[in-house]
Amino acid sequence: MVGITRIATYVPRRRLDRTVLGQTWGTRVAPGRRSVAGLDEDPLTMAVDAVLACLDDADPAGFDALYFASTSAPYLEKQVASVVATATDLPRTTAVADFGGSVRAGVAALRVALDGVRAGSLRNVLVAAADARLAEPESELEPVLGDGAAAVAVGRDRVIAELVSAASVAEEFTYFWRTDEQRTVQVTEPRFGSSYGYARDVAEAVTAALRKAEVPPASVAGLALGAPDERTAAEAAKRAGCDPGRQLVPSLGSEVGVLGAPDPLALLARSLETAAPGDFLVVAGYGEGADALVFRATDALPASRPRPLADRLAHALPVTSYGRFLKARGLVPAETAGEPVTSIIEWKELAQDVRLHGSRCEACGLVQYPQTRVCIGCQARDRLVGHKLAKRGTVFTYTIDNLAPVAEHPLPMAVIDLEGGGRLYLQVTDAADGEVKVGTPVELTFRRLHEAGGNRHYFWKARPVL
Amino acid sequence: MKDQVAVIGVGCTKFGDRFERSYEELIADAAFDAYADAGIEPAEIDAAYLGTYLPGAGGGKAAVSLGDALRLYDRPITRVENYCATGTDAFRNGCLAVAAGVADVVLVLGAEKLKDRGGRGIPRLGHPLLARGNTAPGLFALAANRYMHTFGLGRETLARVAVKNHHNGALNDKAHLRMEVTAEQVLKAPIIAWPFGLLDCCPTTDGAAAAIICRADRARRFKRDPVLVKGAGLAVTTGRPYFDPTFDYLGFRSTQAAARQAYAMAGVGPRDIDFAEVHDCFTWTEISNIEDLGFCAKGEGGRLVEEGRTALDGDIPVNPSGGLKSFGHPIGASGVRMIYECVTQLRGEAGARQVKHPELGLAHNVGGPGAVSCVVVLGRG
Repeated sequence: MVGITRIATYVPRRRLDRTVLGQTWGTRVAPGRRSVAGLDEDPLTMAVDAVLACLDDADPAGFDALYFASTSAPYLEKQVASVVATATDLPRTTAVADFGGSVRAGVAALRVALDGVRAGSLRNVLVAAADARLAEPESELEPVLGDGAAAVAVGRDRVIAELVSAASVAEEFTYFWRTDEQRTVQVTEPRFGSSYGYARDVAEAVTAALRKAEVPPASVAGLALGAPDERTAAEAAKRAGCDPGRQLVPSLGSEVGVLGAPDPLALLARSLETAAPGDFLVVAGYGEGADALVFRATDALPASRPRPLADRLAHALPVTSYGRFLKARGLVPAETAGEPVTSIIEWKELAQDVRLHGSRCEACGLVQYPQTRVCIGCQARDRLVGHKLAKRGTVFTYTIDNLAPVAEHPLPMAVIDLEGGGRLYLQVTDAADGEVKVGTPVELTFRRLHEAGGNRHYFWKARPVL
Repeated sequence: MKDQVAVIGVGCTKFGDRFERSYEELIADAAFDAYADAGIEPAEIDAAYLGTYLPGAGGGKAAVSLGDALRLYDRPITRVENYCATGTDAFRNGCLAVAAGVADVVLVLGAEKLKDRGGRGIPRLGHPLLARGNTAPGLFALAANRYMHTFGLGRETLARVAVKNHHNGALNDKAHLRMEVTAEQVLKAPIIAWPFGLLDCCPTTDGAAAAIICRADRARRFKRDPVLVKGAGLAVTTGRPYFDPTFDYLGFRSTQAAARQAYAMAGVGPRDIDFAEVHDCFTWTEISNIEDLGFCAKGEGGRLVEEGRTALDGDIPVNPSGGLKSFGHPIGASGVRMIYECVTQLRGEAGARQVKHPELGLAHNVGGPGAVSCVVVLGRG
């Protein structure tokens, strides 16, 4: 049996109430909120967050491929999948690839992953889709988009949703685009794009996949469509012979916004929160054509359901003004001082800085960080062996700093005792006032630390466990 | 080394925003003050030690800024840099040279021109990723918060240190911040790094200080009542205390070790000390340091301050000069400035801030925080 073994969604804690946009521009906006990636977040970091949530207690050594999908990757040249694989401690032998081009990339990467496992060339594959797409200020798209990520593990053991069939459509159609010189997503006449582009292609792919699976449209329990809006999703569902009200997985639009590449995967995760074994679920991604995949929920699902998205959405940090929104999205200059991480330092310290391996002393047993030759506990020489640190711990002490040369103040800094040993000193991100105290439980998250030397530098931060 | 080295001259510039003076001019001011105090000519200097954290523009990472400022050439000059213990460690190294018999007369000079940078605080040096986001107040605040959590101390107790040291500094015409502050002002000041508000922090200061030392058996040629070096200690612990899983954050091991060394050399204990210049970069630092120096038990430093025992007229006056808090903290200069204060107090020349009949004084710096501490005990001949 080939299919999905684990799935998780990551949504940034920051949320912008759309009324802020309405008040800023004097326009009418749909009610609800959209997620906003923080200044230290981008699709790379959100992909790491989603993969870590997806892996949970699974051993990363069991995965032999990782695919990253995004239309808003932080690099035009430099692979993101390998960074995500390293930060999540996958083996050096992992097959990696980046998918992009359109928001279809998420489902396309999932299809390639499933095909690889089905062909027997890969055992377990992780797919990480993430987007933080920028819209033109004051555009109709600005309140609609949201930022987030989803990760899906694919394999043959303990499958929670078995792949039944797949179908694709490929045809040039200019709906959304962004040239190499544009920062914001461009869109054609929306009514035309929605009907003649999205709905037509998605319905065609879904219909073809259901026909291959010999599943009547009316039997679909959940249709996970990453559509530009709910009306467009409904039109595609109808064209595929489904009842939108009954069969469409409710969109994330009102709470999170349209996520781009991860959107259909996040909807699939949402449908797996409640699906019953035997249910047929369809996921489709759009962009110059479409991919549709049909899954059947298995008996293993009830024991391995994804964490409910509602839990994650429950602790939002409000983005209170348009200025704060622009700053979070990197649209106003935010100067930070810092030294570059040279390629040499990065290479020498990769296990320590990116994989987050410390050391354990074979003489006295003390777990410590960073990696050195001599034990800080017993001064034994060369008895330290590499030791993967846990990504959860407790604040031993802290401060809330207003002086640090960072773009956003105040900056909580914490000394953290990790589960299983080791002590770290990290910036704390995504914390509300008063959440960082002695004893606060925290988890680690891979974030953009600063820019220097013409490059972006990533490192671990802590955030309160919610 | 006990009683083998004498301080025969000291000098100190006015501390503050010294925009009108260059780094080298501050060095000259302090050095010529000390020459005059000792009654010697520059040609009599056998060797010099420069304590500085950030040399002046063009100074380089060497001792040349001292040589060029004083046109003091063709003899050994050593630059010492050891975080905030830079000045006291420069003094200690000068003493070692005299005690070793390789130099008879040595100039020790600490100088810093922090304001020339045009920024706040001190520049961050170190690993580009690890511990990024740290600041001097933030690093000490980590210890303060754990300490306050453990011993149940409030910001009100910290504020008492600022009130006391500003009171002393207001009596000192060379101090940077010569104003009294109330506890309410301290508590209401903007927060820099919790629990420290602006008035819990020492200022960023320009200044220089100098001491001239010589073999004790020749000191009376220069001074009738030279002050003698009784003991000195230096201890280094980890510069990454925040990664040390065994560190309790309740005080600094380096201070405890440096104090043990200095007391042992001097053959005295903390109860024999009549007054102390103690590193008070932040209010909490003084409270923890007086415990680490042995003036009271761990956790009782706050009470010592609240009971007025560290005030000018208390049984162990701490920072009669005004401390870093009020006198200012030009990093490399601070330790030598403390030697200046100890000598001035032991000579009985401290005027309105004079403590009563002191026989033994102590100077202490800690930097890192906790990574490096230096303790010097000085006494009347």
